[in-house]
Amino acid sequence: MLRHLLFRGLRALLTVALVVTFAFVVLRLSADPALIILGPEASPEMIAAFRKSWGLDEPIWVQYVDYFRAILRGELGRSMRDGRPAIELVAERIPATLALTLPALALKLGVGVPAGIWASLHRGTVIDRAVMAMAVAGFTVPSFVLGLVLVLIFSVRLGWLPSGGQDTWVHAVLPIVTMGVGGAAALARFTRSAMLEVLGQPYIRTASAKGVPWARVIRDHALPNAAIPTVTIVGFMVGTLIAGAVVVESVFSWPGVGRLLVVAVANRDLAVVQCILLLVAATMVCSNLLVDFLYGFLDPRLRQGARAGAH
Amino acid sequence: MSEPLLRVDDVARHYTMRRGLFGRPTEVRAVDGVSFSIGRGETLGIVGESGSGKSTTGRVVLGLEDPDRGSVAFDGAALPPIGTPAWRGLRARMQMIFQDPLGALDRRLPIATQVREPLDIHGLGEPTARDARVVDLLDRVGLSADHGRRFPHELSGGQRQRAVLARALATAPDFLVCDEPISALDVSIQAQVVNLLTDLQAELGLAMLFVSHDLRVVRQVSRRVAVMYLGRIVEEGDADDLFAAPAHPYTRALVSAAPTPGRRMVDRVVLQGDPPDPADRPSGCSFHPRCPVAASRCRIEDPALVELGGGRRAACLFAAPGADAPSRKVA
Amino acid sequence: MADVSLAPPRRALLARLRPPRLPIAVALALAWVVAMVLIAIFADRIAPHGYTTLDLKNRLAGPGNPVHWLGTDELGRDVLSRLVASIRVSLAIAFGATVISAVVGTTLGFLAAHFRGAVEQAVLMLADFQASMPFLIMALSVLAFFGNSLPLLIGLMGLYGWERYARIARGLAVSAGAQGYAAAVRQLGATPARVYGRHILPNIASTLIVSATLVFPEVILMESGLSFLGLGVQPPMTSLGNMVGWGREYLTRAPWILLAPSITIVLTTLAVSILGDGLRDRLDPTLR
Repeated sequence: MLRHLLFRGLRALLTVALVVTFAFVVLRLSADPALIILGPEASPEMIAAFRKSWGLDEPIWVQYVDYFRAILRGELGRSMRDGRPAIELVAERIPATLALTLPALALKLGVGVPAGIWASLHRGTVIDRAVMAMAVAGFTVPSFVLGLVLVLIFSVRLGWLPSGGQDTWVHAVLPIVTMGVGGAAALARFTRSAMLEVLGQPYIRTASAKGVPWARVIRDHALPNAAIPTVTIVGFMVGTLIAGAVVVESVFSWPGVGRLLVVAVANRDLAVVQCILLLVAATMVCSNLLVDFLYGFLDPRLRQGARAGAH
Repeated sequence: MSEPLLRVDDVARHYTMRRGLFGRPTEVRAVDGVSFSIGRGETLGIVGESGSGKSTTGRVVLGLEDPDRGSVAFDGAALPPIGTPAWRGLRARMQMIFQDPLGALDRRLPIATQVREPLDIHGLGEPTARDARVVDLLDRVGLSADHGRRFPHELSGGQRQRAVLARALATAPDFLVCDEPISALDVSIQAQVVNLLTDLQAELGLAMLFVSHDLRVVRQVSRRVAVMYLGRIVEEGDADDLFAAPAHPYTRALVSAAPTPGRRMVDRVVLQGDPPDPADRPSGCSFHPRCPVAASRCRIEDPALVELGGGRRAACLFAAPGADAPSRKVA
Repeated sequence: MADVSLAPPRRALLARLRPPRLPIAVALALAWVVAMVLIAIFADRIAPHGYTTLDLKNRLAGPGNPVHWLGTDELGRDVLSRLVASIRVSLAIAFGATVISAVVGTTLGFLAAHFRGAVEQAVLMLADFQASMPFLIMALSVLAFFGNSLPLLIGLMGLYGWERYARIARGLAVSAGAQGYAAAVRQLGATPARVYGRHILPNIASTLIVSATLVFPEVILMESGLSFLGLGVQPPMTSLGNMVGWGREYLTRAPWILLAPSITIVLTTLAVSILGDGLRDRLDPTLR
């Protein structure tokens, strides 16, 4: 078990290193940052000073090492617009994003998983078809369209809910719903497949034939086995929370990390973009590790295998 | 004596295997020091159980795998490295027939196209003349032009194997390796394909290496036979002689187990113990755990392949052609 | 050795002439996709007005207007014409990107299968990396660093989903190569190029095509999202996502500006997904 986790941990670190390298390569391959930030009218002295302060005149591998060291120290640069450290800017926006993404995640799990299970237990009936139709709708409607349509209906026509800003908790309702629906649809679809696959296994039939009440069969046999692949998907969703927030925060003018990213990209504010990129990588890696860890508990085969192998 | 077409000299091939995820790697010696030669137009049969290394021998001899030790010489020259243009060119002279004809054929293409492919690859003959040659080849293996238009899944097992044969013969090779070519076929079809092989061999002067676990077939097709056990040849000699009077205890067991029509099974030697596992070879003579005549020496000494006269070789301390099995076993 | 009997030639011919019966959803989806493709090809001729032509007298006109069937936007530009032009741009980008990612992915998959060892590990690691990082974030990073241009956008979208083709191509090539026809043809003396090009690729083409139809709608959604944020297709070029983004300002006053492209996005994505599922059920039920 420990060896397995160690291996996974190494892979996670490798992924983060890859992301950092990716950021570095892209950063340096792109046009000269000095010219971008300072603009075409900048004097040669200004450019030279800028390059020096950013270390852009060193050989490339020195820059790479410096870059890595800086990241490890937590120095992720300053925003090119107002000079504040990028980390600060990002950190202060995280609560706003969490205020949306966590309830949305709860929504995805709370609606998507039961819907998928329900559909799988009533396969082929109207219920199943209805759930699947809604799932398909959730998959094909992009979040910005959904958000705008919801605003159109609930805000403009009905006037029930506000359309933007962050003043009261009511303002959070539409963004959370928008974020949650797509994920709920995907989860419903996935959970249904996982359950169907498990229900088709011989051991389910055996349990039922033994006289175990159907509800017990579902609870004790089907659900735990279907949970295993579902955990992977949920882990993936957790890892990509920020990505989902990007569009929704833009639609609802919600001052979170996602919106910050869009603005930073538009302004070519490289330090902020890089900081958010690393944050996303870290989130993703952590959630993958957590999933692997959970797997070790959930899947007895993994527990056995490790124990049998380690002598 | 002219130079043999194929000379195999102390060839060995091993694989490294891990037992489980955390186990130590073990070396599996699939082929462990095999030597023989095949003359032009001659057929050598190789018999053995699964795990004996006979299929691997066939692949190494053909140059599809590199031996880890020893050498293979074809027509006097060493085999070129795998994947080089020289190696690819040599394919026109040596070919293989597989156990599963359906797997060896591309299910999307009609038979005639696939039989024609070696001609296209090696650029043999004028493009316009190639189709005529394909018809000729199909005819020779007993298939019609109509069969050529069909897809592999539309033919029977026997017809598919004939198609594979036609494809293998397209470049008029000197040497053919047949790896269990009839095991996957119905018994009634097996005889037809075997007859076809012997006819073609006589007609075309093909040298063949015929690998199988079925003694009767091997006996019919080959003039000489080698018996393999756990990667080594334990007995070799003229086919009829060897089966009439086997020298090695293992061969004796094999022969006695093969039913002959019209004769009741007598003196059936039943082998004890598990089938051989190349990852776990016994010490000394590798056959001793199952051998009915094993002595305590056999646990220590590893017998070499020794000439017994009359073209026969055997690797056993008690080898004697036609000897009866002593009934007592020295513990 | 009996011949496998064939159906009498006449019956076989008739069966082939009759078109396959399609479920109604698939038929509708097919009709929609064909319509979209035709619109994309003949955009210039279909559009009643130029997509940048201003008609300041008719600003923010509603749909049903005799001159502007779908209304106009804040600058008096005809929504229908802009919609038609957007369809062309969005479909072109999605198509180009799908082709690029299929080619890149399949090639890398074949390279991994052929060379094994370090090459295979490298490709698999890259594939894992690509699959785990959210594409949107990576795309935004690249756009931030490199700025915005159409070739860059297409190239970037061309990286969407390559890892799926790579995994499929590698898996199928390895299994074909181990036993079976690829090994047999290689053993005949064929060059690797011939083995992959003439044998393996045609045999896995149907699986790849099914994957492509599943990736295509995702590309449309991704590009629309980027354009909506103002970071994708730049004006004066217009794409579906672009129109939604620009139309957002007038959500209250003139919702039709963003509803028309939104509905188009949803229906097109839905149609291609349905087609993809239908194709998959027919060609390759083993793919989930």
